[in-house]
Amino acid sequence: MSDALLHAKKVSIRFGGLKALSEFELEIRKGDLKGLIGPNGAGKTTAFNVLTGVYLPTDGEVFVCGEKVNGRRPHQINRLGLARTFQNIRLFKELTALDNVRIAVLADRKPLFNRARVEALRRGAYPGRAVGSALDAIDNYRDWWRALLRTPGFLQEETGIEKRARELLEVMGLSHRVDELARNLPYGEQRRLEIARALGTRPKVLLLDEPAAGMNTREKADLMVLIRELRTRFELGILVIEHDMKLVMGICEHLTVLDHGETIACGEPAAVRANPKVVEAYLGEAPAHA
Amino acid sequence: MKSLAPVAIAIAVLALLQAATASSEYFVYLSLLVGVNVVLAVSLNVINGMTGQFSIGHAGFMAVGAFSSALVSMQLDQYQLGFLPDVVSRQLFFFISLAIGGSLAGLCGFVVGLPSLRLRGDYLAIVTLGFGEIILVVVRNTPALGGALGLSGTPQHTTFFSVWFAVFVVILFARRLLASPHGRNLVAIREDEVAAEAMGVDTTSYKVRAFVVSSFFAGVAGGLFAHFQSIITPGDSFSFVKSMEIVVMIVAGGLGSTTGAVVAAVVLTLLPEAMRAVFITVGGSNAALAQSIDQLRKPIFGLLLVVMMLTRPQGLFGTHEAWDWFKRKKGAPT
Repeated sequence: MSDALLHAKKVSIRFGGLKALSEFELEIRKGDLKGLIGPNGAGKTTAFNVLTGVYLPTDGEVFVCGEKVNGRRPHQINRLGLARTFQNIRLFKELTALDNVRIAVLADRKPLFNRARVEALRRGAYPGRAVGSALDAIDNYRDWWRALLRTPGFLQEETGIEKRARELLEVMGLSHRVDELARNLPYGEQRRLEIARALGTRPKVLLLDEPAAGMNTREKADLMVLIRELRTRFELGILVIEHDMKLVMGICEHLTVLDHGETIACGEPAAVRANPKVVEAYLGEAPAHA
Repeated sequence: MKSLAPVAIAIAVLALLQAATASSEYFVYLSLLVGVNVVLAVSLNVINGMTGQFSIGHAGFMAVGAFSSALVSMQLDQYQLGFLPDVVSRQLFFFISLAIGGSLAGLCGFVVGLPSLRLRGDYLAIVTLGFGEIILVVVRNTPALGGALGLSGTPQHTTFFSVWFAVFVVILFARRLLASPHGRNLVAIREDEVAAEAMGVDTTSYKVRAFVVSSFFAGVAGGLFAHFQSIITPGDSFSFVKSMEIVVMIVAGGLGSTTGAVVAAVVLTLLPEAMRAVFITVGGSNAALAQSIDQLRKPIFGLLLVVMMLTRPQGLFGTHEAWDWFKRKKGAPT
């Protein structure tokens, strides 16, 4: 197995007769900052949804941290280290910024049983699967009681969660908005809050779906710096979907271009920009023999 | 254990109140009705308010708890633990029957919660509605549960203390749940299920858990109810109308607010009684007039709700809690 954190192998997905994505290939390693571009309806968000488990690929395989995740539920894939933001912001609108991030932050808790082994059991065959589920249920049951009795250990975890949530808000420049309801934040800050929330799950790979949409030029410039910073600070691999060419060309070291679900180009930004197929997809067919 | 201090305080206060109110029978009876409704409203609020699922079959879970615990305690009533004083032994049996009733209701909650993995909104509401009806039909056709006549002669174990202790426990539960990752996950599901799932919340299992804990408390409420009514029938007290009554309470109080559920349950339970008292006073000597005014109670009740929803659609408290006001001063919740 390669050391790719996220690896899509010939992933295709069909909705009825429509081929939304065909033979999509992608590899994200630690420290990568890659871009996924293409005109409207090219299949970029579909690709995100396949990678994060919202859709089941018709063909091909997706690996996260070396584990095949075809057919796993989004929350399980998230726990393996893949976090995302949404194109049409999906914050918990009626909650404060702090609560938004707190929901994502995992307690620094020592489980009763070895997590990895329980998960492995649950994915295996019966009767091991039943045992795994039972162990999981016991652990969970215990955790509810700890929460209801507010044991010292639980309170300590809660403080830990809050501290980390506040740290993340600070990183994203939202310290002054901690107690503000998410729906009251300006657009740009909502986008940043979504990133903070995604970081709360301690991802190894971060997928950003049009993080700069709706931002002004100034905010976009700041965001570019921030994304680079995040990569080094949290040792992430990042994949960005973006319409804004300037932003993509500015920060991404590698681009994949989609059009009608097909990968029409991939490589370094400069090379991609010069690729006639890409120009065609974006600007329409070049006038023949002008 | 600082976290158990509120429990000790509650026990002391409730015991004192019980002693103080023992003489006024009418007050105690009303307080039992109110208490049972508060437990029902606060527990339903876990599903409808916190998790954002829509259940309209809460009376069904209440019925499961009521009939099963009544049956258990009628059996247990023949025995007595010789080494314990009579009262203690009875209350112990009462506790056991409540626990059994609650657990069975919780089990039903698990079974009903399972389809909620696939169903949303109206569709889930219909499943819960169906469950409520099924329970009544089952009771009506089970000779052991008295059929359509219901069960009579349930030992009258419910006291002011037991009901209001249950109220205390369910409120403490709701409050501490909301201040924990589990409660936050439930709220995340209400706010945006797709995002919650993407942030690592196992939405399916959390929805089922919400159903289980909520119906457990509904079952306990049913058990308490069964032990102060001389007769329980598979009729009005557990019908769809009862379920809607609880839904109205939590909507009026503010979906998602435990405080709101408590206040609305108290007010809406007492309101018809209070109106009766007022109208009887107004009608005074003329019995016929008093009776015809009394007929107005239901329409006025409905009208009040309509006005309330028009003027304050988010409910009395929105999603706020009374203790949030104190929290700013004191820091973390106890």
